[in-house]
Amino acid sequence: MKEKDGYVDCPEQQVVLYVEKEDGTYGPMQTGSYLTRNFLDDYELKRKHLEESLKSEVQPGKFSPVYFYMVLEDLTISELSARVNMRQGKVKKHLEAKHYQQLKTDVLELYADVFNIKVAEMLRLMPLSQ
Amino acid sequence: MTTVPYQHKMAAHCESGTVTSLLNNAGLNITEPLVFGISSGIFFGYFHKMKSFTFPTFIVRNKPGDMRKNVSRRLGIKFHTEKFRDASEGMKKLDQLLEQGIPVAVQVDFFYMDYIPEWERVHINVHFIVVVGKNGSKYSISDSYFPKLVELEAESLRKARFAKGNMAPKGFLFYPIHIPKNPDYPKAISKGIKKACFNMLRIPIPFLGVKGIRLMGKKIVDWPLFSRDNEHLSHEIMKINILLEDQGTGGAGFRFMYASFLQQAAELMKRPALTDFSAKMMEIGDGWREISLFSARIGKNRDLGKERLLELGEMITGRAVVEEEFFRQLNKSMKS
Repeated sequence: MKEKDGYVDCPEQQVVLYVEKEDGTYGPMQTGSYLTRNFLDDYELKRKHLEESLKSEVQPGKFSPVYFYMVLEDLTISELSARVNMRQGKVKKHLEAKHYQQLKTDVLELYADVFNIKVAEMLRLMPLSQ
Repeated sequence: MTTVPYQHKMAAHCESGTVTSLLNNAGLNITEPLVFGISSGIFFGYFHKMKSFTFPTFIVRNKPGDMRKNVSRRLGIKFHTEKFRDASEGMKKLDQLLEQGIPVAVQVDFFYMDYIPEWERVHINVHFIVVVGKNGSKYSISDSYFPKLVELEAESLRKARFAKGNMAPKGFLFYPIHIPKNPDYPKAISKGIKKACFNMLRIPIPFLGVKGIRLMGKKIVDWPLFSRDNEHLSHEIMKINILLEDQGTGGAGFRFMYASFLQQAAELMKRPALTDFSAKMMEIGDGWREISLFSARIGKNRDLGKERLLELGEMITGRAVVEEEFFRQLNKSMKS
């Protein structure tokens, strides 16, 4: 790829590409992300739809905030269970609203830490049973 | 406040960029393509179903950590490396090293790099950054993916360094402690190229190397079976562009940077034939770049029917054909 073809105007996300310079040598150029420049709006739209769809499923009898964030952050059950240091069977149960509502806040803190959110955000989606 | 004098530079890829940056700051004038090529960084692997991934995916480089290890072994560079069971010990050791004026590379989960825009952040435990200072509760970070030095809260760095899961960092840190005065570049380059050829051609596992490229070309038509809906499929198809371009490859799944390596290798080894191979690799990269752009377009347009996926599959299979021939010829050339 020639250097002139590598240029993308996107200060929000810069990348380094290796290109053919005018003198025929191959070297790095700092430029913008083609995907972000042209398709960020599409990514954000899909993300918004995904959040709405997941939120509609976070309700008693269905799924929990743990499920919401796990899907949103593209984690498998196996990966989430390793990160919170709990058995997969236990994590699977926490994906369901009825089991989630019985949890204590210290367990929610483990999940919140992995998801990089505050416990309050999970409780806003679905509070625990009293 | 602790600040280690450090020359920050953006790089194509975090591991090769971090290793290059540390070595440059320690006085070794080596380029990122040389680090990448000597360490046999170029690779391919396709994962149709794996418990750590929610969707089929692929890799375009060798195993994380191998760039540092291979460069170390082949150039005679020694790195101090350390892991920690206890997060407090790991953070304390980092602070001590910074106070001694040592810039330290650490392995982290990319998701907790708060200075990176949210839409870019994913959970991946194999990002590498260099920590070059501390001011109160904030660390000064040299991240290859960011144009300038940035700051990161200590709590975020702790979380990132000690995240669990697949390829967990375990607080891993490294820095160079010995660099030979005159590394034997021709010998290291030769080993690096031969190993890359072996990795691409000879590993007897059906989803690695050129076999992996072929498998992806064949299996991509099945991707709709894994998706929740059309928007999910669109997201995953467009991720092909991210994995080949934006996640830090230098473009075209590292093929452009490998072309640059071969051009530099031609000069260092006094082997003009490698210049021809570098041009050929640049062309191969152009083909991958077409795949990136095609994936982005069809994903955006939701043009994801069987016909279009078959077309994408053929483009990918085409890369398998040219790379198989390329690495065969390159390997043959290195034997003479």
